[in-house]
Amino acid sequence: MSDKINLTIDGEKIQAVQGSMIIQAAMDNGMYIPYLCYYPGMKPYGACRMCVVKAESPTPDGTYRSLPGSPASCTTPISEGMRVETNTNELVSLRKGIMELLISEHPHGCLNCHRIDLCGPSDVCLRHVTVNDRCVTCPKNERCELKDTVRYMEMELSTPLTYNNRHLPQEVKDPFWDMDMNLCIVCSRCVRACDEVREDQAISLIERSGRSIIGTSHGISLLESGCEFCGACIDVCPTGAIVERDYKWDKADSQITTTCPHCPVGCQLTLDVNKRNKLIRSIPTREAEANHGMTCFKGKFGLDFANNKNRIKKPLIRQNGELIETTWPVALEFAAKKLSQFKGQEYALLASDRGTNEDNYIAQKFTRSVMNSKNIDVSSNTSPDLFTPLQNMIGVQSATNTIWNLTNANAILLLSSNITEQQNVVAIPIKQAVTKGAELIVIDPRETDLTRQATKWLRPKINTEHILIGGIIRSIIDQSLEDKTNTTQTCEDYDKLRQSIWDFDLIKVSELTGISQKSIQDIAKILAESKSTSFLYGLDTVSDDLKKMVTIAIANLALITGNVGDDTGGIYPLFNGPNEQGARDVGCIPSHLPSYTELNEKGIGLTSLSQSIKSRKIKYLHVIGNSASLISGNDKFFINELDQLELLIVHESFHNQITEKADVVFPSSLFAEKDGTYTNLERRVQKVRRVLGQKYDDDEDWRILCQLATRMGSEEFNFTSSDQIWEEITKNVPIYSDLKMDMINSKGEIWKYNPKYKFAAIEIKLSSTDITSDQYPLILATGRVLQQKGVDAKIQTINEKHSITRLETIELNESDAISQGISEGESIKIVSPTFEIVGQAHLNGLNPGMVATTGLFGSLIETISSQKVGDPLQYFKGLPLEAVRIEKINIP
Amino acid sequence: MSFEELKKIADDKWDELASSKIPVIRIGTAMCGHAAGAYRVLEELKTKVKSKNIEINIQEVGCLGICYAEPLLDIQKQDGPRLFFNNVSIENVDEIVEKYIIQDVIPDTGVLGYLGDNGPIGTESSIELLPGIALQNRIALRNGGHISPNDIYQYIANGGYYGINKAITTMQPSDIIDEVKNSGLRGRGGAAFPTGVKWSFLVGSKSPTKYILCNCEEGDPGAYNDKGILESDPFTLLEGLTIAGYATGATKGIVFIRHGHNGPINRTETAINQAYELGLLGNNILGSQFSFDIEVALTGESYVAGEETALMEAVEGKRSMPRSRPPFPAAFGVWGNPSNINNVKSLSYTPEIISKGSEWFSSIGVNKSTGTAIVCLSGNVNKPGLYEVSMGMSLGQVVEELGGGVSGNKSLKMLQTGGPLGGVLPSESKNICIDFDEMRAAGAIFGSGGIIVGNEDICAVDLTRILVAFCQFESCGKCFPCRLGMEHLLEIVERIANCESKLGDMDLMKSVGGTMEAGSLCGHGQLGFGPIRSAITHFESDFKSHIENNICPTGSCDVPKIVPKNTRSYASDFVPGEKNVR
Repeated sequence: MSDKINLTIDGEKIQAVQGSMIIQAAMDNGMYIPYLCYYPGMKPYGACRMCVVKAESPTPDGTYRSLPGSPASCTTPISEGMRVETNTNELVSLRKGIMELLISEHPHGCLNCHRIDLCGPSDVCLRHVTVNDRCVTCPKNERCELKDTVRYMEMELSTPLTYNNRHLPQEVKDPFWDMDMNLCIVCSRCVRACDEVREDQAISLIERSGRSIIGTSHGISLLESGCEFCGACIDVCPTGAIVERDYKWDKADSQITTTCPHCPVGCQLTLDVNKRNKLIRSIPTREAEANHGMTCFKGKFGLDFANNKNRIKKPLIRQNGELIETTWPVALEFAAKKLSQFKGQEYALLASDRGTNEDNYIAQKFTRSVMNSKNIDVSSNTSPDLFTPLQNMIGVQSATNTIWNLTNANAILLLSSNITEQQNVVAIPIKQAVTKGAELIVIDPRETDLTRQATKWLRPKINTEHILIGGIIRSIIDQSLEDKTNTTQTCEDYDKLRQSIWDFDLIKVSELTGISQKSIQDIAKILAESKSTSFLYGLDTVSDDLKKMVTIAIANLALITGNVGDDTGGIYPLFNGPNEQGARDVGCIPSHLPSYTELNEKGIGLTSLSQSIKSRKIKYLHVIGNSASLISGNDKFFINELDQLELLIVHESFHNQITEKADVVFPSSLFAEKDGTYTNLERRVQKVRRVLGQKYDDDEDWRILCQLATRMGSEEFNFTSSDQIWEEITKNVPIYSDLKMDMINSKGEIWKYNPKYKFAAIEIKLSSTDITSDQYPLILATGRVLQQKGVDAKIQTINEKHSITRLETIELNESDAISQGISEGESIKIVSPTFEIVGQAHLNGLNPGMVATTGLFGSLIETISSQKVGDPLQYFKGLPLEAVRIEKINIP
Repeated sequence: MSFEELKKIADDKWDELASSKIPVIRIGTAMCGHAAGAYRVLEELKTKVKSKNIEINIQEVGCLGICYAEPLLDIQKQDGPRLFFNNVSIENVDEIVEKYIIQDVIPDTGVLGYLGDNGPIGTESSIELLPGIALQNRIALRNGGHISPNDIYQYIANGGYYGINKAITTMQPSDIIDEVKNSGLRGRGGAAFPTGVKWSFLVGSKSPTKYILCNCEEGDPGAYNDKGILESDPFTLLEGLTIAGYATGATKGIVFIRHGHNGPINRTETAINQAYELGLLGNNILGSQFSFDIEVALTGESYVAGEETALMEAVEGKRSMPRSRPPFPAAFGVWGNPSNINNVKSLSYTPEIISKGSEWFSSIGVNKSTGTAIVCLSGNVNKPGLYEVSMGMSLGQVVEELGGGVSGNKSLKMLQTGGPLGGVLPSESKNICIDFDEMRAAGAIFGSGGIIVGNEDICAVDLTRILVAFCQFESCGKCFPCRLGMEHLLEIVERIANCESKLGDMDLMKSVGGTMEAGSLCGHGQLGFGPIRSAITHFESDFKSHIENNICPTGSCDVPKIVPKNTRSYASDFVPGEKNVR
C-alpha cells in the first residue's frame, strides 16, 4: 500500500504516500507548515489550528472543489491531484490571530526581549522583562517549538488582548520530572503520547474550557495513576511545561546518539552532554527502528550513573591482602604474569552483557586462543535453555521477528515474563495490538501490567507451564486446527511430536495445571485460528530444570500454528542482558563458537560456575563486570564461592562485592565512554558511541584484554580501534559478514538466519527442584502493576515529595487459609527469610500452595529514585518466586 | 406475540381505563410540571385521598404543550369528560378533591376546560379552543399529556407500533428510506439535513456492527423539546429509532441523554425495558427476522457533547471533545463502527410518517420545510410552552397568539432563537416564518427550537453577556481558537457591560470572532461569535450607549449576574501576594 499519489502544495508538484495527511506529505517533501499539536506518528488531532491550509480536490468533470473553510492540514488526508495553498494572506492572518490568542496566556518574555539575538538553547539571563515572564522561568529557552513557530511567523508581539498568566504553582512532587503548567499550551501531545502510543492513560486533560490543562487521571499522583515513568510526555512537549528534573537548566554542549545499556531492546537515545562533561538528558530517537522514539524509565532517567563520581579511577592490585592503586603497566604486568602461569581449563572468563560486540569477541578470542580454555560465558546467560533448543527447531537462537511487528499480531501468548519492567519497549506494540483487537493471553502466576491488558490471564500451578502448553498443542490437534502445510510438508519430525503428545490427556493436564479444559480448548482455538500469533517467553518463574522443556513446547506450538519463518507472528525469547544477544552471536558462550558453530565438548558456563569453583575445577576467574545479573543477587552462591579462587581478575567501573574479593581490578569504561556495536533481541546490530570525554584512568575492556594478550606473547591482538575488531568480526563471524557499517551507523541492521522447521518431542516431567521447606511451605508470586483499581493507596507528601503507603492485598487459596484459620479480609503477614509483607487476606481461588501479592510500580520507582549507589538499576530485582509462610496478625 | 395480539390487549386495557369506575387523575410531571411543583401537588393529592379514604387512579403523564398552565391536573370521572385544573397549588388540592371528586361540584376558579364527548358539565369550555391547543398540530408530541410514558400498552392503544409493524411486514428497508426522503423530513438538530439522505449513508456500509445514535444532549438554555418528547412519550422515539435501525440495517441504537436529566433518563429506560418484555426490541422483533437493541448512554455535563463526534467520544467513555473529520461518522463512528446520528425530534416523526405516508407529512409545512416545528417558547411572554406547530407559522403569531403576547404590557424588543449560538433577532423579525431556509436567510437559525422573548427592559449587551458566558463555560477546551477566543470575548463583553470598555474593543471582538469563526474545529467555536455579531448588527445602539455614554440603556446590565467562574482562566483566581493553591 505504499502507492504514491501526486499533489501540488504551494505550486510545487510533489508525491506522497497514500493515506498521509497534508502536513505529513509536506514534511516528507521538505516543506514546512507551522504546527504545534501535530506530532509524527500520533493520530490526527487538530487542536492548535496552526496548520490551516486552503485545499481543493479535482472532481470527475475536471473542475476543482474546495474543501470547506480552512481545514487543518494535520487532519486532512491527501488525494490525487489535490491543490493546497499554505501561505495565502488569509491563512497567514488567521494563523497570527490564533497565535496572538495563544501568546496571551503563555509567558513570552523570551520573545520580546531585546537581547533575543544573543540567545541560544537553554540560555537564561535576567534582563528587561517582567519577573513572571523572563526566560529563567522556562527551562526550554530556544529549545521551544512555540518560540520557533512565533519566529517563523514573524509576529508583531503587541496585542490588545489581556495577558492572562496562569500563576499556577509548579508540580514538583513526583519522581523525575517537574511540571510548570504556566508554560503549557494545552496541545495534548503528552496526553496522546500516554494514551495512544503508550496505552497508559496516566495523564489526561482535566477541567474544561479556559481551564483545560494537563493533569493526572483521576487527579491522583503519578505514582498511582498508572504512570510507567517512560518520559514520553516530556519528549513530545513543545514547550517547557513538562521537563526532566535533573539538570533541568543545563545546556547541551553536544548531542550524540547511542544505544541504551539497560536491556536488550537497544533503544536509540540521543544523549545531551554539558560542557562539564556530564550526561544531562536522554531523548529517545524518533527515527530509530528498534524503539520508534520510545524508551522507558531506565533509558530516560536511569543513565545518571555515568556521572557518578564514585568510580574506580585507577587500576588496583592486591598486595598483602589489600587492594592498592597502581598504574596500568604495573597492573597489566601483574595480571599477565599470573595468567601466563595458569593457561588451560582451570581458567574461566565471564564477559559482560554490557560489553560491546567488539569487547565480547575479544573476550572469547582471548579465552580460547590465549588462555586455551573453553570456559567462556556472558554474565547474564543464566538460562541458556531459553535458546538452545531453538537452534535445531527453528534455526536461530533469537527472536524470529522484529519488536514492532508485534503491532500486527492478532494473538499474542506471553509466558511468564514481566515485559513492562524488563524489556519495556516491547510492551508498547503489544498494548497497541490489544487496542487494535488482538487477543493477549498471559500465562503467569504474577500479576503484571500486561495481565491487566490481557484478554485471558492463566495462573497455572508452579512449574506446570510446559504441561499447559502441551495441553494446548494436544487440543489443537484434537480440534484439527493445526497448520496442515507445516505438519505435512514444511516441517520435519511431526511424528515425534505427535507421538509424544498422547501423554497430554486434557483431563490429566487440567488436573496437573489447575487450568480448566474449557480454557485450554479456547486458547488452542484462539492461537490456531489467529492469522498471526506471536509467542513471547521469559520463563522468570519456571525452574531451571524445566526451562528447556517449556522452550521446546513453545517452539512446537509456534510451528504447529504456522507462525515461524515468515513475516507474521514469531517467537521471542526474552532475556535481560543488554548485549547478551551479541555476546552469544560472537561466541561468548561455552557451547558454541562464533556464529553458533556447535562445540562437541562444551566449556563451563555461568550456570555451573559456582559448582565448578566449589569443586575446584575452576581456579582462575576473569570477570568483566558492569553486569546487573552478577550483583543483583540472583545467584546467591556465586559471591561466596569467589573466596575459593586462586586468582580473580575483575574489570569494573564501580566497587561492589566482587571487586572486594578481586586480586586485580581494572577500571572499565562505561557504555557512554565506548565505541562499538550492540545487538538487540531482534538481532539488530546498532552503534554504541562515545558520548562522554575521558574522565578517569579507565579503559575499554577490549583494549585491556588486548594488552594482556600482547603481554602474554600473542600477536593476534594488535587492534587500535573497535572498527578494526569489527572488521575481523565480519570475517570470522559469518552471520555478521553481510552487515554494512553505514547501515549500522544509521538505522542498525538485522542479521539474517536460515530458518529450520523441525518439531521435537515433549514430555510431562515434573520439576525436581522445590524451593519450599517446612518452615516456608508456600510459594509467593509477587506481582507489580502500574495502577490498581479498588486498592486504596495513600499518598503522603513529605519534603515536597510524594510517597506511597498502602495496605497490600494478599491472595491465597481457601484451603491454605482454613488450615491457618484465616478468613477473608483478615490482616495477615507474609514471612520470608529476608522480608515481611503485611496485608489483607483475599481468598480468591488461587492454586493451593500459592500466595500472591501485587505491588505498585510507583513504589518501585520510589525505591529506585531514592537509591544513591553507582547504578541503582543494577540492583533492580525482577519478580522471582519465593518460599514464604503466612502468619495471622493478632491485633490486641 | 403478534402485533394484533398486542394491540388487542392494549385496546382492552385502554377501554378499561376510559370507562374506569374510580376517578382517573392525570398529572403532568414532565419538566414543566415538575418545575411548577407537580410532584409536591402529587404528594399532597395522595395524602388527601388517603385521609379521606377514597380510591383514585393516578397517572403521571407528559406535557400538553401549555406549560404555563402547569401544574395541570386532569380528572376523569366515570362517564364524565376529562376536566382540566390549571396552575394547581398544594393549597387548592383540598378544594379540588373535596368539591369535585367527592361532592361532584365544579370549583369556581382554576378550571381550564374540559376534553371529551361527555362535556361540558358546567360552564367550562373545551380546552381545544385555547390558542395554545388549537394552533398546535401535534405529531411527535401527539400523545403528550394523554398517555402515561410509563405504560407501553397506552402507547400501543393509541396507534403506537403500527408504524414499525407496517414497516417490517410490508416494506423493504429501501422503501422506508424512500418514504422518509419523500416526506421531506429534515433533521431537527439544527443543520436541517434531509433525514432520509442521512440514513442512506449508513445503508451502503457493509460492517457487521452499525449504530444509530439518538442525540438528546439538549443543553441549550431555553430548549426542552427533546426532553419533552422523552418525558411525554418515549415510545415514539423508540419506535422511530427501531424503524431507522430496520431501514439502515443498523444493529444497535443508543439514546444519548445528558446525565442529570433524570426524568427523561428514567422514562426512556423504563420504556426500553417494557419494549424488550413485549418483544418490540431485541431478537426477532414482532416475530420477524429483524433484531435491534437500544440502550441509554449518559454524558457528563458538557454542551459540546451534543456535537456528533464529541457525542461518540462520550459514548466510548472518553472526554467529550469533537473529533476532526474526515473520517466521517458514517465510516468511522462509535468504536470505529459506521454510525448515524439523529435528533430525538427527527426520529420521533418517523412512526407517523410510516403509518400515514410521506404525502400526508409533506402536505404539512411550507416550502422545503415539511412537518411541524416544536417550539420552546420562553422568556418575557405571557404563556410559555412547548408548542408543536406546522412549519410556516410566523414568529409574530407564535409570540402573540400562542404566547399570549409579551408579558407585563411591555413591547417586544428581541427574539433569541436557535440556542445560545443562534443569535438575536430584532422585533421587526416578527414576520419571519418558521422555515429553515427563511430563518437562515434572515441571519438566525431555528436550531433546536428554542425561542426566548426579550422585552424592552432587556439590554442587548446584557443578553449577549449571558449567551457568551454560556458559550465560554461550555467550550470543551480542545481547539485553541475556541478555548482562548471565548475567554477573551467574554472578558470584553463584560468590560462593555460594566461600562469599562477600552478603545477598540468592538474591533477586537470582531477580530477575535473572525479568528474563531475561520479557525475553530467544531461548530461551537465557529458559531461562537454569532450572538455578538447579531447583537451588534441589530442593537448597535445598546453597545454604543455602553461604550460612548458609559450607561446601560435599560439598566439591566447593572443588576449583578452570577457567571460561573470555574472555567475562567486560572489568571482570574490570582491574588497577588497570596500563595496560589490549585
